Amino acid sequence: MLKRLLHEPLLHFTLAAVAIFVAYGLLASSSERRADDIVVSAPKIEQLAAVFAKTWQRPPSPEELKGLIDAYVKEEIDVREALALGLDQGDTVIRRRLQQKIQFMTDAGADAATPTDAELQAYLDTHPEKFETAAEAGFEQIFLNPAQRGEAIDADATVILAKLEADPALEAATLGDASLLPAEMPPTDIASIGNIFGPEFAAAVSAAPAGRWIGPVASSFGLHLVRVSEHRAGRLPALGDVRDAVLREWTNDRRQAIADERLDALLKRYRIVIEAPEEGASP
Amino acid sequence: MTKSRHYLAALLSTMLAGVAMAQEAQVASDDIGQMNPEATAAAFPGRGFSPYADRNYPTQVFWGDQHVHTGWSVDAGAFGATLGPEEALRFARGEQVTSSLGRPVKLSRPLDWAAITDHSDAAGVIFEIRDGNPELMADEQPRRWHDMMAAGQGVQAASEMIAAQSNNNVPASMKDPRLAMTVWQKNTSIMEKYNEPGVFTAFIGYEWTSNAGGGDNLHRNVIYRDGKAKADEVLPMTTFDSENPEDLWKWMQAWQDKTGGYLLAIPHNGNLSNGKMFALNTFLGDPLTREWAETRAKWEPMYEITQIKGDGETHPSLSPNDEFAGFEKWDAANLAGVPKTPGMIEREYARRALQEGLKLEAELGVNPFKFGFVSGTDTHTGLTTAEEDNFFGKHTGVEPSPHRWEHPVIKTPEVNVMGWQMAASGYTGVWATENTRESIWDALKRKEAYSTTGPRMTVRFFGGWDFDAKDAQTRMPAEAGYAKGVPMGGDLSAAPAGKAPSFLVAALKDPYSGNLDRIQIIKGWVDATGALQEKVHDVAWSGDRQPGADGKLPDVGNTVDVENAIWTNTIGAGELITVWRDPEFDPALRAVYYARVLEIPTPRWTAYDQKRFGIKMAPEVPMTVVERAYTSPIWYTP
Repeated sequence: MLKRLLHEPLLHFTLAAVAIFVAYGLLASSSERRADDIVVSAPKIEQLAAVFAKTWQRPPSPEELKGLIDAYVKEEIDVREALALGLDQGDTVIRRRLQQKIQFMTDAGADAATPTDAELQAYLDTHPEKFETAAEAGFEQIFLNPAQRGEAIDADATVILAKLEADPALEAATLGDASLLPAEMPPTDIASIGNIFGPEFAAAVSAAPAGRWIGPVASSFGLHLVRVSEHRAGRLPALGDVRDAVLREWTNDRRQAIADERLDALLKRYRIVIEAPEEGASP
Repeated sequence: MTKSRHYLAALLSTMLAGVAMAQEAQVASDDIGQMNPEATAAAFPGRGFSPYADRNYPTQVFWGDQHVHTGWSVDAGAFGATLGPEEALRFARGEQVTSSLGRPVKLSRPLDWAAITDHSDAAGVIFEIRDGNPELMADEQPRRWHDMMAAGQGVQAASEMIAAQSNNNVPASMKDPRLAMTVWQKNTSIMEKYNEPGVFTAFIGYEWTSNAGGGDNLHRNVIYRDGKAKADEVLPMTTFDSENPEDLWKWMQAWQDKTGGYLLAIPHNGNLSNGKMFALNTFLGDPLTREWAETRAKWEPMYEITQIKGDGETHPSLSPNDEFAGFEKWDAANLAGVPKTPGMIEREYARRALQEGLKLEAELGVNPFKFGFVSGTDTHTGLTTAEEDNFFGKHTGVEPSPHRWEHPVIKTPEVNVMGWQMAASGYTGVWATENTRESIWDALKRKEAYSTTGPRMTVRFFGGWDFDAKDAQTRMPAEAGYAKGVPMGGDLSAAPAGKAPSFLVAALKDPYSGNLDRIQIIKGWVDATGALQEKVHDVAWSGDRQPGADGKLPDVGNTVDVENAIWTNTIGAGELITVWRDPEFDPALRAVYYARVLEIPTPRWTAYDQKRFGIKMAPEVPMTVVERAYTSPIWYTP
């Protein structure tokens, strides 16, 4: 049905969508009604009650239902008066709502599609950058606080590093200054390391060899001696591990493609005239 | 996670003395010491409530924004926002998107979670099937539903449509979105698609936007703990239904009763409520009752204390001794520009409300204003930007441009709020055990979360009776914090004879932002005469500054080079930690304590705009900002 609708003129959509602002009651038996009748039909009342029940988890009381009907009649009068005055024209909110509805209709085509695993695998293979896991590093660090060590901090770092190189089994916790920064991190993606220690430190950890103490490494907190325990390279996961994400991205791409196609097709039906402002006038 | 693991975790946690204390305190916080099964159940939704599952306690802060509007909000759309919930989530997750005005934009770092809270009034029903639209009637199923509705079976028809939608059983010919019940269902589908446990949490939520009496801001964000299946069962509450917050709470109760799920509501912008946010009477003007207080405290455990439309901690007229009180103030009018009259500001700010809450607790038996602090942006661009150097504004009309600073964001005949008055704020840090809807929501419910004006500083705040200086010398303050006290959001009572409460507080700076100037602990209490009192204590600071004779700590200084929009971290500290004991404690008086962490001055977003656009703003426009964090409080009840 969607396909068929899409081949109808745009005007058709617009009129259909505008219908939300038009009298519901009139549709029942409009031929017998006068144009200035406002008929609140039994189905309309049922609908008002249903929406109320859907919000409040109970049917409206008789007074509440009367309130809903009165509000609807008032809304109907206001809407008709407004339409008669052409107040729907050039209203950004109404235009956006119509646009939103058109977009929902287009989206539905993409959302309804169910790709095969082969299609998803092909998407994964052609868009590895969207699904690759980030490189990770695990490490220990010894912190030297410039507020406590002042000018001596660089010399201190050299001395501590020499001790660690001489005796790699040395208990790291006994060296350096107390800090809220974690002394040890399990393998963690480089960006998350940067969120705690800062991006410069994360880059240094990323480049450091595993298994030995290096340093001093500067961060915006001070100086650190660092021993990387493990590097884990980023990898492309198997489809089974990221199926939901691949489906989401595949659907998004498809939705975009359908939207682009639709716009291209519609553009052909219109003659677009852009009257550029005269030279020198501000846009 | 399976149920049996929850049981095990709950058992394990009660075996740890300090942890058990934290749990008891939580129960007390919802029910002021009386064991009430309903309140207990509310405090421990499901078996998953225990923050100690998987680990003994939360060791990680998860950063997010619980307040994002997209082009689906009518007002945002009217301002030209074209980004929808999908783009908003992709942006929050750290992807680059194109703003509504065509600028590429990306966060410096991804957020861990977000709640897209478009106005519920726009999430309405698109219900054309009722009309017997001839296009649709050509198909059998819609025709049947239409006939059911015409025969007075509208509710059944609606239920069938919902079932078909949520079971994904809608035949291809029925995918026409004019049959889709609501924008809401579309919204919840998107949230579901982007919610990835352990990676990124997308909360289902909406904003209930009550502008009572012509612009008095009583807005609330409703945040769902559960997923689409439960959320779709019920339509969101709109302000067409009611503008009275009590009706929202009724709606929330009905929702929970119906679905078995859990909701909470977060009010914001008391500063624009013209005295209504923390009024000392009900919406209809009646005196407050115990039941009212219980209901408010139950549904509203958190308050959004800071956001783009101004900071809501306190006001200089309420806190004349607090030299940091005059921060990002929007204090002239309500949301519609109706000017304030005397007496309104007293009912608009969080610090004063915390104090009033203590007084109300003495009168009513329950504290209605027992809330913790979160923040959000309330952006209407779909772009949650709270960083000064990457600020995309309140709405699309004030996305980056050379003139946005001088254009009004609110313009009425009586009051203009200018673009430069926007605050590039804020984010919420949540101490949760894992990045899931359940874990983060539970932390918000127990108030173990804090607000910042944008920077992601790590802040710990514990209260207990036995903290000593040694607890501040460890690398892991949380060990002592949970073992000997309660975390932010918790309660202290039964003061041991001769003891005053002690607080272990620690802050680690955001490596992308300024160093830390100081940590303050703010105490509010009701004195023996019934008068409200407050005091700001400097408890930890950088360098070797000494408080002067007036007790005030000297200024930390200022390294901001406004012209180039840069600063240096040559002043301030990377981290601060201390144990502080209340020197004026009276065990007979109720009190509330929270920590405020201040950064050194850094360039405000206006300075970046000035530099990048090569413009010069008017002299009244502030060019530096003291970014800050507000922890959720800890309460003492005699």
